[in-house]
Amino acid sequence: MEFDPAIFIELFAHTLQYWWVILPAIFLGLVVGAIPGFSAANTIIILLPLAITLPVEIGFVFMIALYASSRMGAGAPAILVNIPGTAGAAATPLDGYPMTRQGRGPQALAISFTCSTIGGLLTTIIALVALPWLSEVAFYLHSVEMIVVMLFGISLIATIAARDTLKGLIAGFFGLMIGSIGSAFVYETPRGTFGFLELYDGVPLIPALVGLFAISEAFAVIERDSILTERGRVAMKTTSWAATMEGVRLALSRWWHIIWTSLIGLVIGVVPGAGAAIAAFVAYQQSRTFSKTPELYGTGHLDGLVAPESANNGVTSGTLVPLLVIGIPGGATAAIMLVVLQYHGVTMGTDLFMQNPELAYLPFAAMAVTYFLMLFTIIPLARYMSRITVVRTVYMSPLVISFTLVGAFVPREYLFDMYLALVFGVIGYIARKTGYHVAAILIGVILGPLMEGFFIRAMKMSQGDVMVLFSSKLGNILWLCLVANLALPYIVDYRRKRKARAA
Amino acid sequence: MSSEEEMGGGAPENADDEPRRESAGSDLVVPVAGVAFTLYYFTTIINSPWTAQVSAFFIGAVLILLSTFLFIRVALRLRAGTAHLDFSRVIEPRGFMTKRLILLALTITYVYVIHWTGFTLTTFIFLSLAMLLLNDGRNKGLIFILSAIMSLSGWALFVYAFAVRFPAGPFEQLMKSIL
Repeated sequence: MEFDPAIFIELFAHTLQYWWVILPAIFLGLVVGAIPGFSAANTIIILLPLAITLPVEIGFVFMIALYASSRMGAGAPAILVNIPGTAGAAATPLDGYPMTRQGRGPQALAISFTCSTIGGLLTTIIALVALPWLSEVAFYLHSVEMIVVMLFGISLIATIAARDTLKGLIAGFFGLMIGSIGSAFVYETPRGTFGFLELYDGVPLIPALVGLFAISEAFAVIERDSILTERGRVAMKTTSWAATMEGVRLALSRWWHIIWTSLIGLVIGVVPGAGAAIAAFVAYQQSRTFSKTPELYGTGHLDGLVAPESANNGVTSGTLVPLLVIGIPGGATAAIMLVVLQYHGVTMGTDLFMQNPELAYLPFAAMAVTYFLMLFTIIPLARYMSRITVVRTVYMSPLVISFTLVGAFVPREYLFDMYLALVFGVIGYIARKTGYHVAAILIGVILGPLMEGFFIRAMKMSQGDVMVLFSSKLGNILWLCLVANLALPYIVDYRRKRKARAA
Repeated sequence: MSSEEEMGGGAPENADDEPRRESAGSDLVVPVAGVAFTLYYFTTIINSPWTAQVSAFFIGAVLILLSTFLFIRVALRLRAGTAHLDFSRVIEPRGFMTKRLILLALTITYVYVIHWTGFTLTTFIFLSLAMLLLNDGRNKGLIFILSAIMSLSGWALFVYAFAVRFPAGPFEQLMKSIL
């Protein structure tokens, strides 16, 4: 499985020939990524007949291009209207949306696109070179470590809602409880379903995302005539190409920030099930921890946008590593890719690299080419896409409600899911109004079933001994990080107050 | 307003010069709902095998513990007179509450009837009524045109081009027979 640069350069040039597949996939990915309910995974499922009938190479390139561009597309509505297209972009509006409200939408979009492109391109190359070592990361994380990683994810989001960590934790654990709805793992006992058959498979994520972010925001925003502030409205009237270029320049000036936050995304992406949402929040929190101006995070801080956008694109290449090396998909889209590849008789693992290295390295080359092409095709769109923010909320809110509700219907085609999105909308609205973090609830809903799976596995292995949670070295280090993460804001706050008193 | 507030991460700012007492009742809505749901959840697993219980008991216990901390904090603030037990943050600004409730009723009706009337027609009616409601009945012409364009574009993009199976009604059936 040694990396041969010559093969990659040859493959890159070879993959460039598929520009006619990649370009439509990029634009399709941007559209589906931007609309909640139309993720890359859903779109590949819808286009499965196409993906299967195409020759394996072209089908693979198409899926990769769609996957990478949808990740980038999800950030655009998060920045412009505070509605992430997918859960992976849940940390993007923290600083992206305030920038938009200040009339810096074109800059924010340009920063997002630049960071996504560079972060994605860079981690693709690193993933390729470090493939043998990265593949080992997943082996070190067993059920105990995964439980702590997930609790760590919840605690990160709670501390990001730094004004009130307690409320952040309550929101996260409320989400985990909601995520526990559905049939039990072993005996299929229905739990917390209120008698609805539609909840036996658990809470579907798209209605939760749509309700918590889109519906609640649409109901909350009608109080204002525009999502823009007065200053923002003036700024948007005079927006020009210079604003887009300024965004690109600002992003490039933070090259070091892009590198290390996208690497966080890459490493977390390698862990199956961890996903882009956790990676984005971890990167955001780390960025704020090491910032000289942490108090500005949440008010439209550039680094607060750079970190999650670089990280969630770093995840994209990371999820391919366990898929290709050990045949375990790192996420939903990778799982669908696995199905398509298995249909074509492709076997994952070491055999793939030994017998068919061109195909094994192809996804990385396709991803690199996709990001390379996006650099020139997407950034010019930033100026025009940001015009959506000048639409009055009296028109915007009903559009958001109707189109996202129908988006909630699409994955399972149950009318029930539209009602469910409405219920989540009410929960999200109350949470927004009372200072609880909707992103924390969503992350809880995502992690609930995953955590339960790991929890049961750990308990079974230890024959019911809870102390198994503290039985591994790596797990204990992660516990310490978790405690430190919860305690750090209080310590920093205490020291700041003491300094202020002394001054 | 910071993004933390936008995302529901902080308390709304008080613009008054006089320090206003906190609306502690609003803070209680989410934890009370969380605890109530947790207790209901426990009733559904009480007779289940341990594998169905263990994770939920762990998560639920932590949620109840955290909520108890918050209840104590609220009680202390009430006792100190820095907060009062009302729900103003949920319903303010009151001037928009009627509109918001009518919009919610319209949305519920939208979901209820879309099964029979289909995506395009229902979306057109919903968009028209909701926009008229929020715009106080002004710009009727613009609203009808915008609603028609958006619902037809939705049909063309999702139903016709992407072949997504949206709820079908008379319009979708008619177009299917024509195209």
